[in-house]
Amino acid sequence: MPEGATSSAFTPERLRTNQGAEETVRQLLRSLLQSGQVEAVLALGKTGTEERGVAYSLFTEPDAFAMDGDALPLLPFMPANGGGLLSRLTLGGALARPVAAVIRPCELRAFIELMKLNQGGLDNVVLISSTCAGVYPLGTAVNGNLDERVSSYWEGMEHGELDEAVRPTCRACESFIPEGADITVALFGEEDLDRQCTLYLNTERGAALAQRLEGTTVTGNSERAAIERSKGERDAFRQKLFAGVDVGMTGLIHTFGRCIGCHGCKTVCPICYCQLCHFDSHDCEREPGYYEGELRRKGGLRVPPDTVFFQLGRMAHMALSCVGCGMCSDVCPADIPVSTIFSKVAASAQATFDYEPGRDLAEEIPLRTFKEEEFAQVAT
Amino acid sequence: MNAKGAVLPVGEGFAPAVIEWLKEALNREIFEAVLIPVETPAEDSYAYLLIQNPAILDRASPLPPVMPVQGGKAIGRLTMRGTLNKRVAAVVRPCEARAAIELTKLKQAHLTNLFLITLDCAGVLPLSDYLEDPATAGARFAEAVTQGDRSPMRPSCQICHRFSLASAPGVDLHIGTLGIDEGSAVIVPGSLKGERILEQMGVSEDDERARPVAEMLERWTTQVAEVTEAQIERRRQAHAELQEAVAGADRLLETFSTCINCHNCQRACPVCYCRQCYFESTALKLPPDNYLARATAKGALRFAPDTLLFHLGRASHMALSCVSCGACEDACPMDIPVGQVFSLLADRAQEALGYVAGRNVDDPLPLVAYEMEELHGVEQPYVEIYREQEVQDA
Repeated sequence: MPEGATSSAFTPERLRTNQGAEETVRQLLRSLLQSGQVEAVLALGKTGTEERGVAYSLFTEPDAFAMDGDALPLLPFMPANGGGLLSRLTLGGALARPVAAVIRPCELRAFIELMKLNQGGLDNVVLISSTCAGVYPLGTAVNGNLDERVSSYWEGMEHGELDEAVRPTCRACESFIPEGADITVALFGEEDLDRQCTLYLNTERGAALAQRLEGTTVTGNSERAAIERSKGERDAFRQKLFAGVDVGMTGLIHTFGRCIGCHGCKTVCPICYCQLCHFDSHDCEREPGYYEGELRRKGGLRVPPDTVFFQLGRMAHMALSCVGCGMCSDVCPADIPVSTIFSKVAASAQATFDYEPGRDLAEEIPLRTFKEEEFAQVAT
Repeated sequence: MNAKGAVLPVGEGFAPAVIEWLKEALNREIFEAVLIPVETPAEDSYAYLLIQNPAILDRASPLPPVMPVQGGKAIGRLTMRGTLNKRVAAVVRPCEARAAIELTKLKQAHLTNLFLITLDCAGVLPLSDYLEDPATAGARFAEAVTQGDRSPMRPSCQICHRFSLASAPGVDLHIGTLGIDEGSAVIVPGSLKGERILEQMGVSEDDERARPVAEMLERWTTQVAEVTEAQIERRRQAHAELQEAVAGADRLLETFSTCINCHNCQRACPVCYCRQCYFESTALKLPPDNYLARATAKGALRFAPDTLLFHLGRASHMALSCVSCGACEDACPMDIPVGQVFSLLADRAQEALGYVAGRNVDDPLPLVAYEMEELHGVEQPYVEIYREQEVQDA
């Protein structure tokens, strides 16, 4: 049977190891590389010799996952959305041999959306994800405060609580349980993460890959209560966050008034996959006569033009697939809460179509599918 | 009319005086519109506005505390597709005018019907510092400008030595304030177009205290020269220190190790005009085998790859036209000193080819212009080989 497919006979399992979460994950990845079960692992790691640089890398050397190795698979930081990177990796063709990717739930959702948009494929991609307590804003690494935050992060993780310093969009995220991963590392609300670790082996392939790990099969979900409580807290924070932004025309003009037009939000957005954005294209380069005409009409106009129009256009293009990862807010040099605004609009757009981006690869994106009965409104 | 300059009386403050002068010029139809920074509706930033209505001009700021969009880029957007039909005055800082001049040479802007008006510039605050609290930052900026203190400004502004007219003699008009007390400023023409405007405006040749313009010009010129010299020294020192920190492949890798590939630097750069950057093109979107082979060869491949290559490629594409404005650094979410590194590279590259970006619209861009004698390096011209023979044959 093809890899990645779930046989009807397979029942998901739960494996508990007698090592901490960090050790378990590192040991798993190391053994996958050592045994040749995967050719490479896409995971976060150090760049450069100072501690500040963190980036995703394709690791092929098993030692990178030793406890003091360069890889940092569980670091609560997102320098790029891993879903976008998996698209980049698989856009040029299917992988010949398995590659494992350690990514967060929103990154996984982004990859699923990108696959629906024909921007990548699942062949030979092994997805390893975890229940998520959020990531720190990019600025935390810039200030050198990431390391000192990390210990309180793990403490909060065990109690099912979020550090207030994680991205606002993470504090408002209710989709922190990954869907569609081969292996899910249970972290959120799990006790004694420094001494034990539970892995959800969701697919036959996931179970096969974890075979070398020592542990016991367990049942029951002790973390369920913490997850439910956190969902409530996150929802409350989400409502508060949404209430703080005005997505009406006046509000948008005010909020995006300080936009510098770098379009960094679009560049780092995993869903915005266009090779050349319409708003950067020839279509949006205007003759001087256009400006002079607008000037006659309005008395004054902003140059470069279309600041809010760009945001609205991008929103219209990607809101149904917006996974609320928060990259756009983090990258904004003008400190605009782009992600909050987009998430708020995306929530109502997605509710309209009863659509959840990244929930299921088999689910079509609403505006890309047509049903036969819809044509009846146009012609008989 | 003294063609060397005129007095701009500054009664109620510098900005209102400049705005009044611009309104008068609009009124006399010397210009038909003005491109100038205006505070945004939320009063938390500034944006370039093209203005015809004098009432909107009242809200303008000729020297705002930040540079969210480089003025050269705004001029480029306005004129990239051809020449303006209306006469437009663009009130910009010297580095923005220099960027507009570079874009003109690169055929990405058209200066016909556009009047470049620059002002003595003390720098701008880093955007992130300003946005923390725009109201107090504005006051802090004004105080620093009065004191001639560049320490709170962008790192690029702290070491800028081309903050006045001398750096871009090609601009049409320059408004000078350095060395002149608060009661006055001088308007100095840099082109025939500028001289004609001054004649048409009929600006007075002495100020309210009857000081002749010649005296003020003298004081201004002297002060500009003094500050320039001090700034050149600061730049030299800063660049020497920076070179220690970044020279060589290892140190460059370290410097850009936190880069997240957002390419904001390239997007904020006024000179990087490519509609689609090579580094974002399909040329570098490769089959997975390529990435995996590179990962295997090294043990690990940073992904997405080619981070440093992007910066080096961008530098090699635009260093000769880099005006050291610091817009790239302002836009970097990771606080990488990209503007400083690029200004160092740019200074060296421009020095090597005897070129100063934005100095004069008539200076040819070194790698775009060819001179006859350069061809000797490639081949001997036909005439030199055969002329003698031809003469004999004749």
